[in-house]
Amino acid sequence: MTERDVVEGFARLFGAELFLNKGFVVRNGNSYFLLSQKLRSLTEKRGDWLYAGTYLGKIGRNGVFHPSPSLLLLIAGKAKNRITVDDKAAWLFICGRDIFKEGILKIEGSGRKGAYTLVFNRNGECLGYGRIARNLEKLKGGLAVKNLFDIGDFLRRERSAAKEI
Amino acid sequence: MFGKKFFVNRYRLLGWDFRDVTPRQAIRVNRMNVDGFDVVGRLRDLGVELEKVPFLENGYWVVRSDFSVGATVEYLLGYYSIQEAAAQIPATLFTDLKGKIVLDACAAPGGKTVQLADLMENTGAIVALDVNKRRLEALTNQLERCRVKNTVVYQLDARQASRLGLRFDRILLDVPCSGNFATDRDWFRHRTLNDVKRNAKLQRQILAEAAKVLRSNGEIVYATCSLEPEENELNIDWAVKNLGLETVDIDCYGDEAPTDVFGLKLDESVSRCRRIWPGETQGFFVCKLRKRR
Repeated sequence: MTERDVVEGFARLFGAELFLNKGFVVRNGNSYFLLSQKLRSLTEKRGDWLYAGTYLGKIGRNGVFHPSPSLLLLIAGKAKNRITVDDKAAWLFICGRDIFKEGILKIEGSGRKGAYTLVFNRNGECLGYGRIARNLEKLKGGLAVKNLFDIGDFLRRERSAAKEI
Repeated sequence: MFGKKFFVNRYRLLGWDFRDVTPRQAIRVNRMNVDGFDVVGRLRDLGVELEKVPFLENGYWVVRSDFSVGATVEYLLGYYSIQEAAAQIPATLFTDLKGKIVLDACAAPGGKTVQLADLMENTGAIVALDVNKRRLEALTNQLERCRVKNTVVYQLDARQASRLGLRFDRILLDVPCSGNFATDRDWFRHRTLNDVKRNAKLQRQILAEAAKVLRSNGEIVYATCSLEPEENELNIDWAVKNLGLETVDIDCYGDEAPTDVFGLKLDESVSRCRRIWPGETQGFFVCKLRKRR
């Protein structure tokens, strides 16, 4: 499987078709990056870089691909599976919490148990993604979407870095 | 040669009477991520009171906020960065950044790298260097949060920048420095003139390396948050006399730099640098250089 296949395969979980230029998606260690033409030629000259272009995500210890917010943003415009949540649910979600049916304003695409869905706030901004915990159509209330990743991750990283220092 | 009395007397000789200050918190809007909507209005709706910084295009003082401005959805989406007002000046001094190859030689924790990317509208390329692995993590987190697309990061000492085998159109030297009392409450207690001189030596080495990798029509912006002339005017005087560089007029907030430092006469062109004494901002020094024609 090429680097591009990993990233495009992840996008398909949400019903999104990404078409990335093969030569511009590069793997560095466990991390994946999307480079511009200029960055590609620069990094070819010197390969021991730590970070370049748009960070797309990384393969975790469990072998599972973990996307970056930038990749979710690339997918957001094309994804079929989307839920929009109210302000309270949005805030709880970026604090790492799951989504309850009561906080969902709109469901688009698959609402079946096990499906992956992007999570948006009222402003149409992608906050992360999750996996649908119970069939949303019949669900009256309670746990609806398990949080798998949210943009609050930046804050958690900043806080843990501050603790280390 | 240390202690508050010693340093405060030096500031007086340079024309500034010491007063205790607390710099105001500031944010900078990342224009590249807020095309078409008013992020300042959104923050005001959340109850954050902002005031435009008069000398910055995208800078705002945080007058009042009931919560940390580093914990909003807008911050997490990279719509703005928390960046001290004086620290927002250096990146704005370059001319014509779009499409250029830029070196950010001492880049971590990345506030100015993100600002450069914003001014470049994510075009061209930024090569960002730093030696400290932990600080590089902070840098890459910032790049990711602010959706910077045009930067490559290396763990490399700025004094070894020529190892990259590249020539740069623009070089930002936000060099490691002694800092100042406005951002470090214990500054007078733990800093000595020897520290300052040690930092000044390191800064000269970085300046010399930058001059090596600068293209013939390129620009260097040199900045410190130190108030000590050894790290500022004296280093620029040395660069002008030894590295084939010349200072360039800049139009920005701050006072004209002195050319008579404790009785030492410096090159007159050093007056083109700007010295920012602590007040609403922290202390800062900026200078723009290019290769002598």
